[in-house]
Amino acid sequence: MEFGDPFFGNSYIDAIIRLNIVVLVMTLVVIYLTYGERKVLGRIQQRIGPNRTGPGGLLQGFADALKLLSKEDLRPRNADRWVFELAPFAAFVPIFVILVTLPFAENWGVRNLSLGLFFVFSILGLNIVGILMAGLGSGSKYALLGGVRAAAQMISYEIPLVISLLAVAMLAGTFNLNEIVLLQETRPYIIVQPLAFVIFFTAMLAELHRAPFDIPVAESEVSGGYFIEYSGMRWSLFQLAEYTAMWAFSIFAAVVFLGGWAWPMGTEWGWGWQLFLTIAKSFALIFSMMWIRGTVVRLRIDQLMNFCWKGLIEISFALLLVNGFFLYYGWPEEVLALVQWAATIIFIGFIYTRGVRRSRANEYIGTYRNPEAATP
Amino acid sequence: MAVEVLWWLFAFLIVGTAIGVVTARTVIHSALFLLASLGGVAAMYVLLLVEFLALVQILIYGGAVAVLVLLALMLTRQAAGGEPVSLNGPQAPFAALAGIALAAVLVGAVVASSWPAAAADGPVDVPFEQISEALFEDFGATFILVSILLLVAAVGAIILARQEDAD
Repeated sequence: MEFGDPFFGNSYIDAIIRLNIVVLVMTLVVIYLTYGERKVLGRIQQRIGPNRTGPGGLLQGFADALKLLSKEDLRPRNADRWVFELAPFAAFVPIFVILVTLPFAENWGVRNLSLGLFFVFSILGLNIVGILMAGLGSGSKYALLGGVRAAAQMISYEIPLVISLLAVAMLAGTFNLNEIVLLQETRPYIIVQPLAFVIFFTAMLAELHRAPFDIPVAESEVSGGYFIEYSGMRWSLFQLAEYTAMWAFSIFAAVVFLGGWAWPMGTEWGWGWQLFLTIAKSFALIFSMMWIRGTVVRLRIDQLMNFCWKGLIEISFALLLVNGFFLYYGWPEEVLALVQWAATIIFIGFIYTRGVRRSRANEYIGTYRNPEAATP
Repeated sequence: MAVEVLWWLFAFLIVGTAIGVVTARTVIHSALFLLASLGGVAAMYVLLLVEFLALVQILIYGGAVAVLVLLALMLTRQAAGGEPVSLNGPQAPFAALAGIALAAVLVGAVVASSWPAAAADGPVDVPFEQISEALFEDFGATFILVSILLLVAAVGAIILARQEDAD
């Protein structure tokens, strides 16, 4: 059976049924992601995490969902009514649309688009709209601040994200996600393009507002950011969008960089193994995101912007150029992989040495009383 | 049949939201209507089977331009809930004149051009390989010139915006 062939009746009904299956799986995954995140963070912070509702706290997510459904839907008096009320939907729809093109296993997905990769990152651009609407429409200074921060961050980090994906598309020579997966049957692209993966993963954390880039939703600074005024159903839609984005991004990264369903042994061991591969790889990525959240401190907004505009963008352009040279002159892929690994190690080593350098902040403590001394 | 229904649906969406852009009371609503209108145009491209162009429309106009408009609004105007800013200044009649002139040119072009009598073939999808060949090989020099123009515009915008820091 080919991907495009309607499996259930005619093509419209087929699309709707496939979408419904994806939505059901998505809801379950999101409910257990919230539970999993609390458990993982609890473990990292030497707590137990939810353990009261159901065996081992397994029903906690359902209890939370029920609680959120029954809460009152409040709207501040000075909020812009329609902008405020439609914002959660505008935030959720683009994330949901991305799921349409993701291949979960061979011929398992809603639709096989020939421009799949391009589809994903052009729809991602619309992701900001809902957040901006929430920030503008809430009539709250905290929400506005969070919205501005989110927009600045997401516009900036979209560039390295897209360019690192283009580097892979260059190598693959196609935008079709299924073909990209099939090309990775012998080796996943992370082996050939480790630097692209590092850039993509960093930009992905920023696009998802995950720590250490959770500046727009920082509780201690803007007390929740753009969704501060939301409650009940609408707040849970934002939450749903956030966790769905996490899951969709992880599957997308697994498909583009980690070999999706094809590596290893995907085409030989059948669809059960393929489905397991995709899910296992995406959950490994999600776990590493939670791990980072539990262990890395939040950046400041100027550090965040500097890192993007003065670091990631230049490196990703250089990456694109190097890939272009290798492809144009037909140099072997092994050499490209070696060059990329060397660059990755230098890049990470540079970040590490910057990170562990002794902070010079101590010299400035107390200098606010004496403004002349404070200027470095 | 379904395509025709969808065509009319999106045609009304585009025109309706375009009217919304002009008549909305606040700039934020105008920007959101603009975004919806541009999204409708992208849907039209999908109906015409030029998926690549539709995605470019979403990426450039939806994701970048409209968001930049909203971001600029956020940084310059007051937040929603404050007093609505009066949008129509003394420039309104000239703006109307420019709009009518543009519409006249477009309608004139549509009326004057000789359309093929029967579009029996229907639209065909142009593969993006063909588009990229035309863009980077046939019109490579033009492409480079346009990108230099954009770069100059970006640098100029930064210089204009950062002027208060210089003194």
